[in-house]
Amino acid sequence: MRWLAAGLVVVLAGCGGGKATTNSGGGNTSLAQSRLTQAETRAAGFTKSGDYQNAARQYAEALRIATTLENADAIAANAINLSVVSQWLGRDDDARAALDAVLTDTHTAFSEHRKIQAELRRAIVELGGGNTGAAAVWAGQAQQRCNATSCEYAAGILNVRAQIELESGRNAEAAQLAQSAADRSRSTGSQVELANALRTLGRARHAQGQYAAAMEPLKQALEIDREMGDPRKILADLADLSRSADAAGDAAAARDYKERGLAVSRAMNGGRSAPEASLTR
Amino acid sequence: MSIALPTKRFAGIVAKVNAFLLIAFVLVIAFLGLVAYKQGWFVHQSPIHFVTANALGINKGMPVKLHGFTIGSVSSMELAPGGVDVRLQIGSEYLARIPQDSRAKNARESGLVGAAVIDILPGKAENAISEGAQISFEPARGISEIIDDFRRQAMPAFNELKTAMSQVGRSGEDITQILASLRKEVDQLPATHRAIRKLVEEAAVATTNVSKQAAATLSAVEKVSKTVDKTIPEVSEKLVNSLQSIDAAAVQAKKTGEEVRLTLRAARPLVEHSEVAAREAGDVLGAAKRVWPLSDSFKETSDGMLPIDSFEAEGKGRSR
Repeated sequence: MRWLAAGLVVVLAGCGGGKATTNSGGGNTSLAQSRLTQAETRAAGFTKSGDYQNAARQYAEALRIATTLENADAIAANAINLSVVSQWLGRDDDARAALDAVLTDTHTAFSEHRKIQAELRRAIVELGGGNTGAAAVWAGQAQQRCNATSCEYAAGILNVRAQIELESGRNAEAAQLAQSAADRSRSTGSQVELANALRTLGRARHAQGQYAAAMEPLKQALEIDREMGDPRKILADLADLSRSADAAGDAAAARDYKERGLAVSRAMNGGRSAPEASLTR
Repeated sequence: MSIALPTKRFAGIVAKVNAFLLIAFVLVIAFLGLVAYKQGWFVHQSPIHFVTANALGINKGMPVKLHGFTIGSVSSMELAPGGVDVRLQIGSEYLARIPQDSRAKNARESGLVGAAVIDILPGKAENAISEGAQISFEPARGISEIIDDFRRQAMPAFNELKTAMSQVGRSGEDITQILASLRKEVDQLPATHRAIRKLVEEAAVATTNVSKQAAATLSAVEKVSKTVDKTIPEVSEKLVNSLQSIDAAAVQAKKTGEEVRLTLRAARPLVEHSEVAAREAGDVLGAAKRVWPLSDSFKETSDGMLPIDSFEAEGKGRSR
């Protein structure tokens, strides 16, 4: 009887011994945490409305609050966003300084994903400023880290490396990297990087003297950029197409692309006459 | 120390307690069996899986539905190359109903605020999916994207309306000007009539003085003059009536024009406010998203990061 009673007790204990719910305390958001969320929301709002000055101010505030909270992910996210907006404002030094919050801080445990983002951003800032050597170093680091984690930025890194090769005059390598970036973008479905890769491929072929072959990827890039709706890229595509068509001996097509580019450029500048140089670079 | 128990009263007590415990044990086992049956522990289940770049909104235990009918649940999720590998346990009997090119979608049972489920969208392939196979995943659209779509589609319509209203306003002004000119011309008609009559009378006098031989002609002229004299007042009367009608129409058109202008003035802030309201609705929804219990229903699909675009490396990204 004692064994039977003991068995019953064990069974009953098993029935009642379900997994206890834990109170994570997620609802106890601190005042600083709320201010961080508010600053991030305001920054996103300013960015959407095109007010980059205020967006940069809010991202800087969010970065400061995230640092006080030692929130590694928020520090990295806001530093990267601040670098993007600073570059849009033409403040390359501020963009670099923002990324230092991630790239030079050895005490905070940033995730590999955030480190790749920061390194890629740094490579973009350096290349945008004409520092191809520094850009190559940062792109190489991002590539190494990306290979180890199979990250989503592989196509973007390849595109930056292709642009570095093109800037350095190694046109064949640039074409090869751009082709790899295009293949990678197609497999991941990233239309933005696919268009960038096709544009760089077109430029590399043009630089190699393959003017007619340069037209096809440039036309594809233009189609994608029109779908994505980015006038800066549409203008860049039309300028490259005009240049390649001219070099290939198709003067009528070159004139057509040039006129379309001028119309886009004029509209971008609010109806003022567009600088001719932007279409003949 | 020992307690002496009455021998008759507790005879067979051990057997009774044993029987009671045995019955209780059997009942507990039966209850557990029933729970296990209801939970589907005895149903054979087959795993399938999909990989998503973002597993926000997907939870372990979430039901998996086919044509709105529950056929399984989310069994586990783990980080994998390219995102999160979400494993589903599907009742083996239902596998035959899922074609190979089927897709999974994160959906809600009642539009935007119902319980979240994984909905299997059957494909058109002839062969059914096999155990352990991978299917593609289609992420759900967030409320912000739906509102953005609505705004993008509604704004051209509002702009068209604005343009149409301003054209109506301008047309009203043109009609008023035309009617004012017409009225001015009509005002001068009686003077013209008087001048004609005077001319006819002078002609009659002149004709009498010229010659008696022209009497016949004169009388004829007089006749004509009389006829004209008789006709002109009628015409004049009719003209006056017409003028009054046109005048009334002009006043009415002017009034309508003013009303249209007032309506336009009243509608313009409305149109502008609608845009502000749409923007504020976005803010309100944003706030609502952060409030329990809606917070789980409105999780953002992105992590608030700005795009990292290699195009910016061209140095032309500044003129956004």
